[in-house]
Amino acid sequence: MDALLIILFPLLAFLLIGLFGRRLGDLPSAIIAVLGSALSFIFSIPALLKALNSPFSVKLYDFISLGSYTLTLGLYFDPLSAITTSLVCFISTLVFIYSIGYMENLFGQWTYKFYAYLSLFLFSMLLIVLSDNLLGMFFGWEGVGLASYLLIGYFHQQKYATNSAFEAFVMNRIGDWLFLFGIFSIFYLFGSLNLLEIFSKVKEIDPNLLGLAVLLLFGGAVGKSGQFPLHTWLPNAMAGPTPVSALLHSSTMVAAGVYMVARLYPVFESAPQSLKVVALIGGITALFASLAATSHTDIKKIIAFSTMSQLGLMFLALGIGDKSSAMFHLTTHAFFKALLFLSAGSIIHAFHHHARNIYEVGGLKKHMPITYATFFVGALALAGIFPFAGFWSKDLIIASSYEASFGLGVFVSFVSFLTAYYIFREGFVMFYGPERHKEHFEEEPHEAPSVMLVPMVVLAIGSAVVGFFEGWYMSALKDHKEIHLEIAISSVVIALLGIGLAYLVFVKRVLDPEKLYQSLKPVHTTFKEQFFTEKLYHKGFAKGYMKLSRGLFLVGERFLIDGFINLLNFLYFRVVKFLWIKLDIYTVDLFVNSIAKFSFRFGRKVSLIQTGLLNNYVAFLLFGLVVLLGIIIYFMG
Amino acid sequence: MKIEVAYILISIFLFLSGLFGVIIRKNLITLLVSTELMLNGVNVGLVSMDKMVGGVEGQVFAFFVLTVAAAEVAIGLGLVVAIFRLRGYEGSSEITQLRD
Repeated sequence: MDALLIILFPLLAFLLIGLFGRRLGDLPSAIIAVLGSALSFIFSIPALLKALNSPFSVKLYDFISLGSYTLTLGLYFDPLSAITTSLVCFISTLVFIYSIGYMENLFGQWTYKFYAYLSLFLFSMLLIVLSDNLLGMFFGWEGVGLASYLLIGYFHQQKYATNSAFEAFVMNRIGDWLFLFGIFSIFYLFGSLNLLEIFSKVKEIDPNLLGLAVLLLFGGAVGKSGQFPLHTWLPNAMAGPTPVSALLHSSTMVAAGVYMVARLYPVFESAPQSLKVVALIGGITALFASLAATSHTDIKKIIAFSTMSQLGLMFLALGIGDKSSAMFHLTTHAFFKALLFLSAGSIIHAFHHHARNIYEVGGLKKHMPITYATFFVGALALAGIFPFAGFWSKDLIIASSYEASFGLGVFVSFVSFLTAYYIFREGFVMFYGPERHKEHFEEEPHEAPSVMLVPMVVLAIGSAVVGFFEGWYMSALKDHKEIHLEIAISSVVIALLGIGLAYLVFVKRVLDPEKLYQSLKPVHTTFKEQFFTEKLYHKGFAKGYMKLSRGLFLVGERFLIDGFINLLNFLYFRVVKFLWIKLDIYTVDLFVNSIAKFSFRFGRKVSLIQTGLLNNYVAFLLFGLVVLLGIIIYFMG
Repeated sequence: MKIEVAYILISIFLFLSGLFGVIIRKNLITLLVSTELMLNGVNVGLVSMDKMVGGVEGQVFAFFVLTVAAAEVAIGLGLVVAIFRLRGYEGSSEITQLRD
């Protein structure tokens, strides 16, 4: 029952803030969100310890009974899900605390909604991680999509933010649609949605059919994790507040795709052909996103592309059969990616949310020493320098790819070279060099308040040390990895080369970046535009769709439907006018008027009888009496 | 023809001539007299019917009618004299206030 509480606390926080947030105020709402997340984390520790010894399930209730099969919703704790749960809760708690400082200037402007969405986000993610069946996972999947939509579009006064939220939602819908069909086909093949039942039956299914189902499921992961070709929403999602980006990119949203593939790994393994697709998509995305990251200048977008590229590496690792490395990289990545985003957020916060471009700031090292330190810890971890977290996990992936094939290994090494280059490019431009911010902003940058610094420092420590848990993590997932010394050394050297290149170009200015930019402009533009995919989607698909809709609107709505309605209106008007003249004026009015005229004339005539003469009245009396008597005699007699 | 039938015929004749007088004559006094004629015609009818059936109720009623007729003549004459004195009317054709 304790295990159930893990998932209930964020839900409770969401309901409490969502329903009573306005009364409670913004700061108490934030504290409730933090408490919900922190309590989840505390309760996830015993569940984790228990799950490490023996996996266990918690049945919630029977959802639908379908004839012979009953769909039961429940939670499943094994080392994979339990570790991920703890990780998600831990990172979320830190990000929630950080967001109190980051959103402080917005307090009083309905900011409680932000915390409600954050709690919903966390709840949905925990549902994905802990669900013991695909349907529960799908609920969480959709909940994450909704929460990300609400959070990316949180600054809804900005057109850009609402468009980005919309784009994220649409891209995710495409993925969700594939995922849903994947679930249908899994149910068709296995007759069950329970993970354990699926795993036990996986050998009996035809691998070709299974491959198709698995590809559909992977389509969902592509959408959710921002992989090629459904990637454009991920950099644009930077329109949201920075804590959202940190959460989205480290633990709650994009991790869902990788986690889902790892969760269903036995199924993926049985369809080796589709694993190749996973590896291919991952590889393409890893290269393509890191190339895009080298040319972008937006503070957050560089980190966003880095996430995309790292997720691509994880999918690549999953595709070549190394699930535990991929999951370990997801874990370490969550730490340093959250850290990088929080540090970037600290810089943005220092300029009152106006700074967006890395070339608008510079020489921040002496103004923001703690942010500087945390950012570079994150950058070193991302680049994979010993002994930071990224080194350990990336080393495993590089080793696995060299095992798979030499070419693949070189490819991954190249990606990690690019990784080291682009993240240090961002760091060097922002923290070294001239103080460019003086030209753009009036105010002096200042270090963030401690409510933001503490989570950053905690994450920095985490990013530094979490790599040492590699052995423990591998034994928890019942896997064993050797550290390959030559690969470790070579990958560190490659990372150092990348850092050195960035250092030479952006600090020492051995090569002038502006001249380099001028000479490599076409290449730079190609990278920056993500090989024009975003343009294609926005201008081609979205604009084309808008044009098509507009055309259909003009033809269908304006011409056919409106024309029909107007014609109907016209005809109806004519008919009514005709009826009015013929029926109302010529028939009814004539009838009524003649009755009136007749009554008037008749009354004139009849009133002449009333003479007022006594004699006449007596005569009428006689007449009336005779008539009455006559009637009486006629009928009575 | 029995004698009672002759009485009834006389009664009807008296009543009708009274009625006729009321309808065609204009003088107010004549109208009053014609009314008396009608009443007496009815009285003759009542008494002759009594004779025919051998009861007494008709005769008693005839006395009532006589009394009422006496009173009516007294009041009627009073009214006629009053109208004549007040307005100078002599005939009923001048009294048309019922119409207005």
